[in-house]
Amino acid sequence: ITSRYPLYQLGNPQLRIFRPNWFLTLVRPGKEQPPDTVQFRIPMEMTKYDVKNYLEKIYDVPVGAIRTRIQFGSNKKRNHLHQKVKQPDYKVAYVQLAQGQTFTFPDIFPEKELKHEEGSMEEMQEKFMEDEKQRQRLDPRRGGVTEWFGL
Amino acid sequence: MATSSSAGRVLSLCKQFQNVVRISSAVNTQSCSPALTKLPPRQYREKSPLAALSWRSPSSSVAPCRALHTTISRRGLDEFFDLPENWGETTVKSGAPWTAKQLRTKSNEDLHKLWYVLLKEKNLLLTLEQEAKRQRVPMSSPERIRKVERSMIRLETVVNERESALRMLQTGQEKARPGAWRRDKFGHVYWYRFKEYAIPWYMNRRYKRKSFFTPKFVQPHIRLRLEKYLRQRARKTSLERRTQSKLKEKFPHANISAS
Repeated sequence: ITSRYPLYQLGNPQLRIFRPNWFLTLVRPGKEQPPDTVQFRIPMEMTKYDVKNYLEKIYDVPVGAIRTRIQFGSNKKRNHLHQKVKQPDYKVAYVQLAQGQTFTFPDIFPEKELKHEEGSMEEMQEKFMEDEKQRQRLDPRRGGVTEWFGL
Repeated sequence: MATSSSAGRVLSLCKQFQNVVRISSAVNTQSCSPALTKLPPRQYREKSPLAALSWRSPSSSVAPCRALHTTISRRGLDEFFDLPENWGETTVKSGAPWTAKQLRTKSNEDLHKLWYVLLKEKNLLLTLEQEAKRQRVPMSSPERIRKVERSMIRLETVVNERESALRMLQTGQEKARPGAWRRDKFGHVYWYRFKEYAIPWYMNRRYKRKSFFTPKFVQPHIRLRLEKYLRQRARKTSLERRTQSKLKEKFPHANISAS
């Protein structure tokens, strides 16, 4: 976008950007945040006003306050050739929603019952494992007690 | 095929779309990701951008198609996440990316809306990727991100083609950004693209340190480089000729490959 947007000097009109090339990533906050705060990872070239306009125009989300910071990606780790490997830097934006809205990050990976289709290899394997476990289990009539001792 | 009105044109654009519009009531029963061959992500869920154009001509004179009004879905921050049925799935079905040929048939308004649809889908996939990394769980069907990227790149090329054609007709300039052919220190001739500065070039210290000429002592190096390049090209052609002659010797009746 910086290549498309002309050089700005004081007094120039603020031009629109058609088809912005910026992508926002909603992330789960590492530290506990207030209920109205949403945390985003944004490209380094974006500013607070850019994020505000982006969310308001494209997502129709009322934005109140917004604060940004740049997270330094570590340059400490080394690969098998003992060269330093740089983790990329990224900008984080903390967006507070207006009009008293709240947002909680949902659980996107809930535990789901994996049901295999009929007659498939996985289903047969599952059944086999179930039978094996059933055989390994102790006599339920003895109440789970082992057969090492007793009659 | 109703082509006289925008509504008719819209509905006859792609066959899948006609089917989709007819079964608009049965939308919520499907759980697979809706980008099924050629349709942009979530096309049948929101029935935009193509269907939304039809509300402008409710009293169309074309008999076979009814005017169709659809509402844009406004889910705010929920648009960063997939449909709740797809949470936790290992694979989510998605269609093929848009090709440049298909995109060239669309109007500018359609392409503009499609860009934003693709943008939102990419944001969704990026949030999913990051959350998967956080939860240490494999992301469901990661090839969707590549598909969306490719579609966006092709859209960009189509839009640039149209802009360039318009610029050629209006002004006669081929390129939007001015530039010039320049030589660098090693004798390479390349297209140098101008950059916008607030000050003129003779006041720009960093620019003045760049030299756009080839010194005289680089000429032997250029000659050697040229010789090397010609030698490599000659070697390649002679190798091809040699392999072809050997094959002809071994298999005299085989037809010559078109290479």
